[in-house]
Amino acid sequence: MRRILLLLLSLAACSKGPQADLPYISQARSLAAEWALVNEQASAGKLTQTYVETMRKELRQELDTSGKALSQPHSAYAREIDALLKQPGDASPADLREHARALKTIEDSLESA
Amino acid sequence: MNPLELTLGIMTAVGGFVDISQLVFSAQAGSRFGFALIAAFAISTIGIIVFGEMCGRVAAVARQPVFSLMRHRLGLKLGLFTLAVSLASTLITCAAEIGGLGMILNHLTGAPYLPMCIASTLLLMASMWILPFKWIERTYGLLGLFMIVFVVALVAIHPPWAKIAGGFVPQVPHGLSTKELLSYSYFIVAIFSAVMFPYEAYFYSSGGIEEEWGPKDLLTNRVTSVVGMGLGSLLSIAILALGALLFAPALVAPEVPGSAALETAIPLGKAGLLFALLGMFFAVAGAAVETCMANAYSISQFFGWEWGRHKKPWEAPRFTVAWIAAMLLALLIVMTGVQVMNLVDYAVVSSIVVLPLSYLPLMLLANDKSYMGQYANKWLAKGLGWLFFVIVTVTAIAAVPLYLLTSGGAA
Amino acid sequence: MRSLGQVKIVSQLLDLQIIDKDERSCGVVDDIELGGSPGKEMRVEALLVGPGAYEGRMPAWLFWLTRKIAGDRMARVPVDQITEIGSVVKLKSKAEELGLHEVEDKVRAWIPREGAI
Repeated sequence: MRRILLLLLSLAACSKGPQADLPYISQARSLAAEWALVNEQASAGKLTQTYVETMRKELRQELDTSGKALSQPHSAYAREIDALLKQPGDASPADLREHARALKTIEDSLESA
Repeated sequence: MNPLELTLGIMTAVGGFVDISQLVFSAQAGSRFGFALIAAFAISTIGIIVFGEMCGRVAAVARQPVFSLMRHRLGLKLGLFTLAVSLASTLITCAAEIGGLGMILNHLTGAPYLPMCIASTLLLMASMWILPFKWIERTYGLLGLFMIVFVVALVAIHPPWAKIAGGFVPQVPHGLSTKELLSYSYFIVAIFSAVMFPYEAYFYSSGGIEEEWGPKDLLTNRVTSVVGMGLGSLLSIAILALGALLFAPALVAPEVPGSAALETAIPLGKAGLLFALLGMFFAVAGAAVETCMANAYSISQFFGWEWGRHKKPWEAPRFTVAWIAAMLLALLIVMTGVQVMNLVDYAVVSSIVVLPLSYLPLMLLANDKSYMGQYANKWLAKGLGWLFFVIVTVTAIAAVPLYLLTSGGAA
Repeated sequence: MRSLGQVKIVSQLLDLQIIDKDERSCGVVDDIELGGSPGKEMRVEALLVGPGAYEGRMPAWLFWLTRKIAGDRMARVPVDQITEIGSVVKLKSKAEELGLHEVEDKVRAWIPREGAI
């Protein structure tokens, strides 16, 4: 239902474009940051392999869902999400955080607009 | 008052306090708004203590559970309406718990989500069939004490205790945009709902009858409510504080239930992770059992059927069919593929809307000297009860608009 | 007929739980049968228990739905069976003797009698 509501809100606010995608952008930012955290803790030996694999799978699925829900599929933030989805599961935390920070910058600029 | 029984009762209340909705909202609340929402947990905990104590007292003195007396007070038509809405919201909550169990087992074992939902449901049903009431409650409550690992994790990271203490003061964080303010308001509503779920009142009051409480058990009831639920809420507050200290700086606002376990893994490693996942499993399993039984209690008590797990399943046949049907219906909802996080949202919104209808009959009963005699509400219980009734009514009115405006807190 | 004395039908009696002489739940006071005639004293004659008793108490469409789900059986409990009215109505006989446990007994046949501690 959250997806349906977000879709309805996006359709209703279609003249705002990226504003309608703001919830998905912040969701994607958080998922990327969490993926980085999981990989960082995995490298430090703090997580079981099962937990790491299941979390990576879940986070990737959620990212994919966020990406598909965007109303602006050719925007800069859509490209960031695509790039994230192309990352291997064990991508370096630094790379993942770079994408998270890029999404955060876009998020902040849309919120202050 | 048997000290062992009392200790076990308190420990059961502590271990059984947290469910999937509280797990999700505690971690998100901390990561999004720092320590500011601790006050919402603290105040709503006082609310559930007030209503929980009242439920136990009504059960012990009137020797009837809330739903039986509720039909007598509200009459058939309004009573049927209350029954229908509370069954629906508790069913959704049960489905959210079962979905949560599937996810937690997936993280523990790697086995796929839906088969783990089915396996959990069968395990819960087997335990409800085999064990009598007291041991159903004790098993899940005591095993839920693995959740104490979240408190251990918080202490291990040497948090700013003064700032955490400051979170107990109701506040609005500075510099929030209008959207963030609406999200903050939605979180307050969701936390109140998750802490004060109506099924807890039905379960606690019926549990008092199952354990054959009488006026001699009123002190046990009071101590269990205050100490047990009070300590239990500290688990949720620990999850919130860990979210503020570990997730927020990392730009993480956890989107999946399994994320909470990271909070213990970061300071404590694999042992912390496993303790957290086990604690989450048993706490959520306990909540699934409680929601299922609450529905069976409600329908049985409303229609005057034999009920209770202090009886063997065949001694209360329609009650038995009711809890089996409730559990299977909840599993069916999960099998439709609706996401656990969406189920959690529906559970908290539907429950807060039902909350005033659930607590009003309780207030009227607990105030009524013809049922309660000398044990009717005195000024403190009356005052706090009506105050919280007003609070839950206001949150019920605000819940649906806030959910829609904030896309379930996302905006 | 045993006299109940004065009783407030709606606030004291209607929708109250019923328990039998063995303290088992056996229904709720779903409606009340009244006796008497114009100009004479009105008396409670019997308690009516079962979904059939809802007919006068809910809209026609809701009663139609209730009948589809639960049937329209109704048991009649004469007022002289009542020993006490308090937070429950207590009866002097067993539920089976008054036709109050028929459905419970039918459903009991489906439940295996094994495995529970």
